[in-house]
Amino acid sequence: MNSTEIIEKFRTAARDPFHCVRSLKKEKHCPVVGYTCTYFPEEIVLAAEAHPLRLFGESGMVLKADAHIQAYGCSLARSVFEDALSGQLDFLDVMAFPHSCDTMQRLSDIWRLNIKNTVHLDLLFPVHLKSEAAGDYLKAVLERFKKELEQALQTEISGSALSGAISLTNRIRSALHSLYRIRAAAPERISGSDLNRVVRGCMILDRSTAADLLETLADELGSVNFPAGKQPVKRLLLSGGACLHPDIHDIIEQQGGAVVWDDLCTGNRYFDTPVPDGPSPVSAIAERFLDRAVCPAKHSGIDRRGKELSELVSKYEINGVIFLLLKFCDPHGFDYPDLKATLEEAGVPSLFLEVESGKPVDGPTRTRVETFLQILNQQEPMT
Amino acid sequence: MICCGIDIGSVTAKGVLLEESKQIAGAIRFTGYNAGNAAETILQSLLEQAGLKQEQVDAIVATGYGRNSVNFADKALSEIICHAAGAHFAVPAARTVIDIGGQDSKIIRLKENGQVTDFVMNDKCAAGTGRFLEVMARALGTDLDGFGQLSLKSRTPAAISSTCTVFAESEVISLVAKGEKRENIIAGIHASIAARTVALANRVGVVPAVAMTGGVSRNIGVVRALEKHLNLPVIIPENAQLTGAVGAALLAQKGK
Repeated sequence: MNSTEIIEKFRTAARDPFHCVRSLKKEKHCPVVGYTCTYFPEEIVLAAEAHPLRLFGESGMVLKADAHIQAYGCSLARSVFEDALSGQLDFLDVMAFPHSCDTMQRLSDIWRLNIKNTVHLDLLFPVHLKSEAAGDYLKAVLERFKKELEQALQTEISGSALSGAISLTNRIRSALHSLYRIRAAAPERISGSDLNRVVRGCMILDRSTAADLLETLADELGSVNFPAGKQPVKRLLLSGGACLHPDIHDIIEQQGGAVVWDDLCTGNRYFDTPVPDGPSPVSAIAERFLDRAVCPAKHSGIDRRGKELSELVSKYEINGVIFLLLKFCDPHGFDYPDLKATLEEAGVPSLFLEVESGKPVDGPTRTRVETFLQILNQQEPMT
Repeated sequence: MICCGIDIGSVTAKGVLLEESKQIAGAIRFTGYNAGNAAETILQSLLEQAGLKQEQVDAIVATGYGRNSVNFADKALSEIICHAAGAHFAVPAARTVIDIGGQDSKIIRLKENGQVTDFVMNDKCAAGTGRFLEVMARALGTDLDGFGQLSLKSRTPAAISSTCTVFAESEVISLVAKGEKRENIIAGIHASIAARTVALANRVGVVPAVAMTGGVSRNIGVVRALEKHLNLPVIIPENAQLTGAVGAALLAQKGK
């Protein structure tokens, strides 16, 4: 299979994830576990021979969820809940809510009261990831989730199955990291919108299939020698929650820019840091969650996100940062002013964009992106 | 060198011809439903005024929301870049530009050389824009030309609490029904626009000198309300409505 065919498989999955997973369930007779956030132990689900599916909210029009969540609530939560209320998620066997942000905690409660045909599980993640108790506490949370999942699916998760699942997810992380490095070195090898679909596809497709496809894709895209000189593009970094608008990348690329790295949960935060080796697989999974790139819903030191962002900017020679926030994501909104100030101190221009889950990128957003790229290009002669 | 800037806004289409840094023609008309036709009409008007043929124009840059509909332009640039260039040309001391047009408002921060360092635009909502004023003028049975002057007569501006255009219109109708003086209502509307604009401006910071461009800069009531909220003078360039088109023409020159 060549790279075009592989990318098309990820595009298809990202375009219609529910059809993709319904087909998978029919073919493999495996239970499906839905989840809402990257603070989720896919490994435990895989070890139970079930299929983990990250929900991104496919409903553009919110008709039913408005009766439960205010219009100024997180657009991702509203869209995901609309999927559930409209029956599109009736193939889920288990719905799991990692308690990442306040909205997801509340969504879990609303879901439990209104969606009755799935097993409902919560993962009460710690908020302060560097506290003394966080490691032991998180390990206990994961052990409890494992036990509850075993009961729900009437199965037993063995240590060897868990180790195998860790190897599989680490293969995906490693291959995604390779793809990102290829894109950072030669952005023309794969478009930003396709790389976004590849990452999202990894959270939708059968994970063994995804790992095989990713490794082949990384081999193929990385096999050609990189050009000696730097490409004449403005190198951008996207920072925010979930990027569900791949067309943002097309607008950026039309203006001579390229997103060469990101700080997104549909990107770097999904594949950052492998699960380490260790005597206990569950402890190792917990350890990764405490160490990986942090999300604003968690606390890991008052300036950690700013430092991580600055390190990415420096490492990947970033010319500008675009903050891409879903309406109305409070945790990212609260972090934004400090992150912007950190970048300003370093002389790195940034742009703030707010987009809505399930809605296309509108004209004013396009104008903002075009303007930002034109500002970055100001020093250069017009062509 | 003769260069042309065409600014297709949501309400009006504007154009200028510059010969070096001298404006030799300028035109404004309603955009209407066909941005391409509006641009064509503007260009013909400019050429007629200057007694030129299109082939004598060295470069054309289009800007504004309809910029990509101007087929004869050599390049399309965002209105923020063009307004900044035009404002810097007219008011070289400007470090902050407030541009309020028909359906959006923007705050632009500039360096000494006129380059844009940061900007912020209003969100999808049209509150605090020219369209908001149009709706309010209709509700008050007056036209926009007298709106600004009338508000200066007010001593006790009415409080307008809604930021939504439609809800604010309802509020205005209620105030009219209560017998509130028209100038007080208009002054309240201007204060509401100014407060919203200054809140937006504070996201990128306000550094003097402050210049204002766009159609709403013709409204002296909004300008005075902005000055009060900013506690700074607001400089209005001559022909402020043409600032984006002038900037587009200047950037066309630079690109040649």
